[in-house]
This record gives sequence, C-alpha cells and structure tokens, in this order.
Amino acid sequence: MIDALGLLQGAADAARQYGDFPGIGGRGAVWITAQIHLMFAAFVLGVPMFAVITELIGIVGKDSRYDKLSKEFTRLLVFAYSATALWGVVLLFFLSTLYPAFWGHMAEIFHLSMWIYAGLFFIESFTLYLYYYGWDRWNLGRAKWGHWGLGLLLNVWGTIVMFIANGWLTYMMSPPEGTTVQGLPEGVGLWNALANATWMPINIHRLIANAVFGGAIVAAYAAYRFLAAKTDEERAHYDWMGYVGTFIAISTFIVLPFAGYYLGREIYEYNQQMGITMMGGFMSWLWIVQAILIGVLFLSANYYLWTGMGRIPGADRFMPYTKWMLLILVICWIVWGTPNTMIASRDEFAAMGGSRHPFLGVLGLMSGKNTAVNIMILTTFLSFLMYRRANKIPTVPWAKTGTLVQGAMFGLSSAAVLIIGVWGYFVPTIVRINMSVYQVFAVLACIIGVTVIDLMLVRGADSRGEIRWGAMPERSQYAIFVLAITFTWLMGLMGFARSGIRQHWHVWEVIRDTSDQAVTPALGYAANMITACVVVFLGLVAFIFWLGGLAERSSKSIGAPLMRQTQPVARTE
Amino acid sequence: MWKTNLKVLFVGVVVLGFYTTVARMIPQLESAVPEVLDLSAGVTPEILVPAGEGLFIGAGGCTACHGLGSRAPNLRTDHAGEGTIGERCGNRQPGMDCKEYLYESLSQPNAYLVDGFTGIMPDATRQLSDEQIWAIVAYLQDQGGEVTVTASDIQSVNSTAAAPAAPASFGTASDPMELLTQNACLGCHAINGSGPPIGPSFDGMGSRLTGEQIRRGILDPNAEVAEGFDQFAGMMPATFGQQMSAQQLETVVQFLAGRR
Repeated sequence: MIDALGLLQGAADAARQYGDFPGIGGRGAVWITAQIHLMFAAFVLGVPMFAVITELIGIVGKDSRYDKLSKEFTRLLVFAYSATALWGVVLLFFLSTLYPAFWGHMAEIFHLSMWIYAGLFFIESFTLYLYYYGWDRWNLGRAKWGHWGLGLLLNVWGTIVMFIANGWLTYMMSPPEGTTVQGLPEGVGLWNALANATWMPINIHRLIANAVFGGAIVAAYAAYRFLAAKTDEERAHYDWMGYVGTFIAISTFIVLPFAGYYLGREIYEYNQQMGITMMGGFMSWLWIVQAILIGVLFLSANYYLWTGMGRIPGADRFMPYTKWMLLILVICWIVWGTPNTMIASRDEFAAMGGSRHPFLGVLGLMSGKNTAVNIMILTTFLSFLMYRRANKIPTVPWAKTGTLVQGAMFGLSSAAVLIIGVWGYFVPTIVRINMSVYQVFAVLACIIGVTVIDLMLVRGADSRGEIRWGAMPERSQYAIFVLAITFTWLMGLMGFARSGIRQHWHVWEVIRDTSDQAVTPALGYAANMITACVVVFLGLVAFIFWLGGLAERSSKSIGAPLMRQTQPVARTE
Repeated sequence: MWKTNLKVLFVGVVVLGFYTTVARMIPQLESAVPEVLDLSAGVTPEILVPAGEGLFIGAGGCTACHGLGSRAPNLRTDHAGEGTIGERCGNRQPGMDCKEYLYESLSQPNAYLVDGFTGIMPDATRQLSDEQIWAIVAYLQDQGGEVTVTASDIQSVNSTAAAPAAPASFGTASDPMELLTQNACLGCHAINGSGPPIGPSFDGMGSRLTGEQIRRGILDPNAEVAEGFDQFAGMMPATFGQQMSAQQLETVVQFLAGRR
C-alpha cells in the first residue's frame, strides 16, 4: 500500500514538472507575460529618472515648464504602476502553475529576497503616491527640495527592486559554480546567487536602457498630444516635451552599446559556449536584425533633428550638409547590416563560392561593423551639435578658434576610427578585438571634448531668434513614433537573445528544460511573439495615456467653476 | 482626430510589419534540444551524421570559427584547394587516417596546426562527451568523404576510459623548449618576440611572476586570470600536472622564471 502511494506520489511529482496553457503553451504564456511586465517595469523605472532630472532643472533654473513636464510624467506613472504590478502578479501565477518544479527551486534559493522585494514594492508605491499627490502641496522653498528628495527616493527603491529581480534572472544564466537541482553548494549563500557573474552588467545595461525607454515613450506621448493639440500653446508645449524626451532617449542610447559590450564580455568569461551561442551560433542572424533596428533608430533620430532645425532661426546654414550626413548614415547602416558569422548550408556556401560573399563579405567583419557604428554615432552627435548651435552666435573672443578645434576633434576622431578599422583587416583577430576599444575611446573623447568646448563657447551667446516651438511639421512626430516602437521591439528582441542563449536550460547547466517546448525557437517565431508583446504593451500604454487625458480634463472641469466663482471676488479686491 | 489616430496606427502597423517580416525572411534556425546519444551498439552513419551536424552547428559551437576563413580552416567548403574536410582529412598527417586525425583534432586541437592558423581552439572533450565527439567526426567525414566511424570506435574509447589508468608516460624530454613545444604551450604563448597572444608572453615572465606563481599558473590555470587576457579565461587546459613529470614541470617553471 505504501509502495503504491509512493508510486502515485512519484507520478504526481513528475506530472507537475510543467503545466499546460491553452493555445500558446506554458512557454508562450510566460514569455508574453514576462515581456510585457518587463516593458512596464522599464517604463516605471525610466520615467522617474526622467521626472527627477527635469524637476531638478526646474528648481535650479527656476523654470516652471520643467516642473509641469515632470508632473505630467509622474501622472502617467501612477497608472503605469498598477499595470506593472498586475502583469507581475500574472507572471508569478503563471510561473508557479506552469513551471512549478523550476519555481520551487527558485523559491528555495531566493525566498528571502522575494519577501524583501515585495516589501520594497509597497514602499516604492507609497513613495510614488506621496511624490505625485504632494506635488502642489510641497511646491515652494524647502518643501520643494523635500519633494524632490521623494523623487530621488522613488528612484532608489525602484533601482533596488530592479537589482533584486535582475539577480533572479541572471542566476538562471550564470549560477554559482557547484549549484545543483537541490540548491546552492555548501558555503554559497543568497548574496552569491544574486550577485552572480552577469548580475552587474545586466544592472548597468538595464539602468541605461530604462532611461532610453522612458524617454522614448514620453516623447511618443508628447508626439500624440502634439498631433491632437488644439491651440498653439499646447502644440508648443508638446513639441518641446517631445524634444526633451527624444534628446534623453538618444543621448543615453549612445552609451548603451558600451554597456552591451561589457555584458557580452562577462557572458563569454562565464561560459565561452554561451558566448559563442550568442554571437556565432544559431543566434548569429539576430544581430543582423538588431543592426537593421538600430539603423532605423539612427535614421529616425537624425531625421527628427533635421526637421526640427526648420523651426530654429539660423539653422538653414547647416541644412545643405544634411544630405551628405544621410548618405554617410545609410552607407554605415548597410555595412553594419552585412552578415558575417552566419550558418549556411553546403549548397549556399557553394553558391557564394566560399563562406563569405566575394565582394560584400569583407564588410561583414567586425572591423567594418565597428567602424560603421562609430561613424553613425559621430554623425548623430554632429546633428545634435548643429541643432544646438543653430540659433546661437557665440560672443566669446575665441569663438572661431573653438569651432575650429571642435571641427578638428571631429576630423581626428573620424580619421582614427577609419584608420583603426582598415588596420583591423591586417592583424590577427585578438589584436583586432582589442583595437575596437581604441575606436570607442576616440569617439567618446570627441563627444566629451566637443561638448565641453561647446558649453563654454555658447555661454552668453547672442541669439539669432527664439526656437519656434510648435512650428514643427507633423511628419516629424511620426519619426518619434517610429523611435518608440523600434525601442520597444528592440527590447523584446534583446530579451529573446538574453534568455535564448540558455537554450534548453531553465538554469544554465543546472535545471534542464524537459518540457515539450524546450526547443529555443527560430527568429521568425520569436518575432511573432515580440510583435504580439509590443502590440499589447503599446495598446495598454495608449489606454493609460487616454486615462491620463481623462483625468486632466476632469481636473480642469472641476477647477473651472471654482475659478469662475473666485474671479468676481478677486475683482472687488 | 480619427484621422490622426488612423495615421498613428498605420505607422505602427508598418513598422511592426517590417521588423516581423525581416525576422521571418532570414534563415530560420532553431536550437534543438540535444538528444541523449545512445551510440553503444548498432550505430549507423544515418544516426551519427545528423547528430553530428546538430552538434556542429549547435552545442559544439564549431561554426563560430570554422567557416569564416580567418579564425580557423573552412570545413564544409574548400580550404586552400584541398577540398572539404572529408576529402582532405586522410592526407593531413602521415600514417593517420581521417577518423584518427579528426578525433585528435577535437580532443588535442594543438597537436597539429594547419598552416596559417594559431592554436586558439579549445579542447572539445571539456564540453562534449565522447559519443558527441564521434558524432561530429562522422559528420565531418561526411563532408565529401566516407563515414567510417563505427560502434566499436565509441565502445573502445568508453572501455579505455573505464579501464584502470595506465602508469603515466611523460616522455623523456628534459629540454625546456622541447617541453614547451611538446605540450603545445607555444600554441598560445609567444616566446622570443613571436607567437600568438592568446596567453601572456613567456618573454620577461620571470620579472612579472615568481616561480611559485608560474607553477600555480600551470597546475591550476583557471585560479587566476592574467591581466588583459580575460577573454581567454578558461581556455588553458588544467591537465599539465598529469602531462608532465614533476621534474619536467620544475624544468619548465625554472626556465620561465629565469626569463627576465
């Protein structure tokens, strides 16, 4: 009898390794839920960074526009927060019911951090409510600084929450050595499991990416409000808001590849096989798709800036250069999108006459690609500089020399990138890989040097005329939508890359995926899933924006009669 | 307003449609779950070759270098006019047939280096089982040649592995340069100003490290990674303690410690 019960228990245990979900299966359900939860989480972590910076600019610069902007973002947060929590709860239910054995393993190791996570979520929520609802009450003097401190705290809680969750997911990629299905090895504790090999690279990468994402979504919101604006004042405000969002998204995006490089390097260091799967194995084509997306981002950002220069007096002197910049961007895009490490059949190799295309194959090497992406970054930075300088006439006595030095910096940096790139074709791989670091230094040095000179150069500059905020063609706003959609899709794609390199392991080389969905799918299937996630996320974001608009209209309509009542009193005074 | 909404929707559909279409147009490769290979008896080329192909493009990670021309020789296409790997493998080393050569290439990749390439390949036995390695050998033979791997090959390796270890034979070499060459150290470390920069150069090693540090670096190479060589961490085999006698090890250590 006892034996029979034991057998039944064993069968039940085996059966509960995995649950089933109708239609898309357990993996599909968890994939969509996790991805959408992550998108909302990125939004609610990125926007507070944005809000606290713009609020600070408003306080220090005594510019109420920034304060209004900051509050407007935070109102969106209140709704987005609920959505993040709801998707998080659904994810938790799906994980515990569809992957109970795996979830049991995770809970066994991480239960303490899960409780802390839940507690921090409460604290973070209440900080957000205080921050938003206390906006008008703590709006002056020291109270305003206290209010800003709440915004800062909100970011601190959010960052800790994200770091904890990152510990769980990076544990799945790079568990400590000696970990088994039963748990951590002797002498290895929770902290070691959280602070694993890929934890910090992911933390840094996500922090930057959240700022990029937050900026892009805020800019898309502004773009929509711009298109829907009924007055010039509204149009001017949302035009400016869209610019600020796009500026933050693009300027933080430029440093993201360096964080990605760090992450990739740590992955290789943890397990060479995992690194090879990511860059040279079945995922090699994913990087071509990524190159296409990033090319679209660069083109859209530059197009937005060039269009925006139409509303800046004096910008016309720079416009003739834009067609050449476009040409450079397109050429670099094509180079970056040239496949190299690809998997092909014997027939395909035979048709090409080798493992590479006879003419274009040379462009697919990392030397060519690194050169292309660095030139794209420099070109985009030049667009920003032209935009910034368009309506300014520097008055410092060294203005001409300063501009010449800036030009020389661009020239030298571009030359360094090109020379190192060409040189890379004539040296062994290992030397070539190390040389790419010098290309990055050349670009960063140019960006930092030119920016520092520019800040000093335009101090006290005369103006050729104010920027005509609102006088922006409608088509420019669609470029912002393209940016936001592309960033969101890119996030889904990179999520697939990060998660997919584990292949058939729930926890790398510790817990094997033995379900009937253990195969890591091809990019076509992944693209369908990513698009589905983006559609649901952007649909919900649109709904949240609409709710935000409703709340705004309600507060205005409540405020209006009050104002009418108080006006006569004011007159009699 | 509806016109604006429709325009925004249209832009969204076009952008998403474009990305989805591009991702669906490129070669569709899944990463299949490696099957547990049971090649102990009755195995045929029909079973071995597909299994080997899966490993070659998947878990083996071979395509990261082979097929690109610059890092490692092409295997599935012609290399230097010698044909595909199945055609040329039997002619690589005198007295060694194709099967033996390929097995040695995977298990001791630095034992023989093709002209023009450096010894960057890791030892495949560190990540693949013997069954998997034989499956890859069969797949490579199939690239223009005849598959000769049989169940007895796999069984002989397994039985050798299971048998009590024979007394170690370390050879008679006592010259340090001979020992460095014999143990394929120069496949990764430069000496006298030449050689691949996969590991730290032997030139001036004595002024950077003590004899004790060099000894530890040879016996337990993954305990510490030399500065600037992070990307090659884990590549150096930890088997030199078994490959060299104590006397040979000390000869190498003293030789390197003396290079200031």
